Amino acid sequence: MDEQLLFETVRRHIVAVVPEIDPAEVTPEVSMADLGCNSIDRAEVVTLVLEDLGIDVPVPEFHGLPHIGALVELLRAHRP
Amino acid sequence: MIGIEWLNVYAGLAGIALTELFDGRGLDHDRLANLMMERRSVGLPFEDPVTNAVNAAKPLVDALTPGERARIELLVTSTESGVDYSKSVASYVHEHLGLSRSCRVLEAKQACYAATGMVQLAAGWLASGHSPGARALVIATDVAVVDEYAQYAEAATGHGAAAVLLGDQPRILAIDPGAYGLHSYETLDSARPEPTLDIADADRSLFAYLDCLTRSFADYADRVEGADFATTFDRLVLHTPFAGLVKAGHRKMMREHTAVGAEAVEADFARRVAPSLAYPQVVGNLCSGSVYLALASTIDRAPVQRPERVGLFSYGSGCASEFLSGVVAPEAGPELGRMRIAERLAARRAVGFEEYTRLLKETRRCLVPERDRRVDPEDWWDFADRAAHPGELLVLTGVENHHRRYDWR
Repeated sequence: MDEQLLFETVRRHIVAVVPEIDPAEVTPEVSMADLGCNSIDRAEVVTLVLEDLGIDVPVPEFHGLPHIGALVELLRAHRP
Repeated sequence: MIGIEWLNVYAGLAGIALTELFDGRGLDHDRLANLMMERRSVGLPFEDPVTNAVNAAKPLVDALTPGERARIELLVTSTESGVDYSKSVASYVHEHLGLSRSCRVLEAKQACYAATGMVQLAAGWLASGHSPGARALVIATDVAVVDEYAQYAEAATGHGAAAVLLGDQPRILAIDPGAYGLHSYETLDSARPEPTLDIADADRSLFAYLDCLTRSFADYADRVEGADFATTFDRLVLHTPFAGLVKAGHRKMMREHTAVGAEAVEADFARRVAPSLAYPQVVGNLCSGSVYLALASTIDRAPVQRPERVGLFSYGSGCASEFLSGVVAPEAGPELGRMRIAERLAARRAVGFEEYTRLLKETRRCLVPERDRRVDPEDWWDFADRAAHPGELLVLTGVENHHRRYDWR
C-alpha cells in the first residue's frame, strides 16, 4: 500500500465527512483542524480510514499528529 | 422473556440553558451546534448519587405491591460518583427504598458502560430460572463535579439517575436473548482520578466511541445471523455524551453499511435516532444512565405503533462497549407515560449563570470525603422547583462520622 493511496483514502474520507472542504486544499502539510474539521469530524475520518483499509492502530498513537502527512506516515507504519 | 418492566429518570430540580452557560464561561457559541444541546440539569447541595438513585427508583418501587417489591432480589447501583472506596451507594439506596433484606446488593463501575453491563448480567441471572419471578433493579446514578476547567465538557455534563426494573414481564423493552456484541480495550480517554476532577482527552474519547460503535456492532452481527445496521432496527438508542456525537456515529455507521447519500442518511437519522435525543438534549450526559434516558426519550417522543426492534449502544470510557437489541411494544408508551418524564424535565427551575456558580461551589464537594458535614436543605429551596418531582423526595442532610444522613421532604 503506497503512500499516495493512503493519502487519497484519507482525502476521500475528509471530503465525505465535511463536504464543504475543497479536495484540492487537502495536502500532507495541513492539519484536519486547519481545514475546518472539528474534533468529532476528525475522529470520524480516522475511524472510517482504518475501517476502509483494514488497519488496526493503537488509539494513543493518534495523539498530537501535526498534519495529514503524519497521519499517512502512521497508517503506513501499521499497514498489514 | 426477560427485559425492562419499567423505567424512570430523575434529572434533578434545576437546570441551566446552554447559551447562558456558554456566555458565562466565554465559550464559543459556534460550538453549540456540535453539541446539539439546549439545557443541562444542575445539582443542588442536598442531592448526591444516593438521593438521585432513590428519587429515580422510588416511583417504580412505590407502584409495586408489597409482594412484588419483596421479589426485587438484586439491587445494583452503577456510578462513577462513588461516595466511599468500600461502602457502596447501593447500601444506602437499599435502605431508603425499603427493599427486602433477602436482596443481593452491589455497586458497579465501568464509566458510562456499567449500567448496561449490569442489565445484561441481571437479565442472564433472571433467565437462569434460579429464582422464578424475581426482579432486579439497576440504577445508574451520577453527579457533575466539573467547573470551568472542563471547558465544553462542563456544558455537556448532566446530573441525575435512571432506574431500570428488570423482570419476566418486560412492558418497556424485551431484551433479545443472546443478541449482543462487545468491544473493550484499555485507553485513558476520560476518567475521574479525584473527587472533583474529571479529565478528558476529547480526540481520544470521540475516536474510541466511534471505533467501539463499529466494532461492537460487528461483534453483534457475527453472533446474530442476518443482522443489518440499516434494516434490522426500527429505532436506535445510543449512549449520548452529547447529541452531536450520536449524529456523527449514526452517519458513520450508515456510510459503512449502506451506499445511500447524505439526504437519505439525514432522513434515517430523523426517523430512527432523533426521538432518542430529545431528553439528552435538555439533561446532559447522565453517564451510564444516558442510554436509558435516550430509550425513555424515543418511547415518549415517537409513539410505538407495533412491536419495534431497538438497537442500543452503550459505551464507557476506559473503555468497554456493547451493542444489544430488544423489542418495544405499543404498551411501552402508556406504561412509561405514567412517569411523566417530559413534564418533570420541563418543570426544573431555570437557574442563571450567577446562581449556577454559587451552587457549584457547594455541589462540587459532593464526593469529597469528609468526616462530618451539615447540609441544610431548607437553605436551597429557592433554587429548586418541586414540580420537577411531585412525590416524596430524599435529601442529603449531612455526614456524621462518615455516615451519610438522609431525610424525606
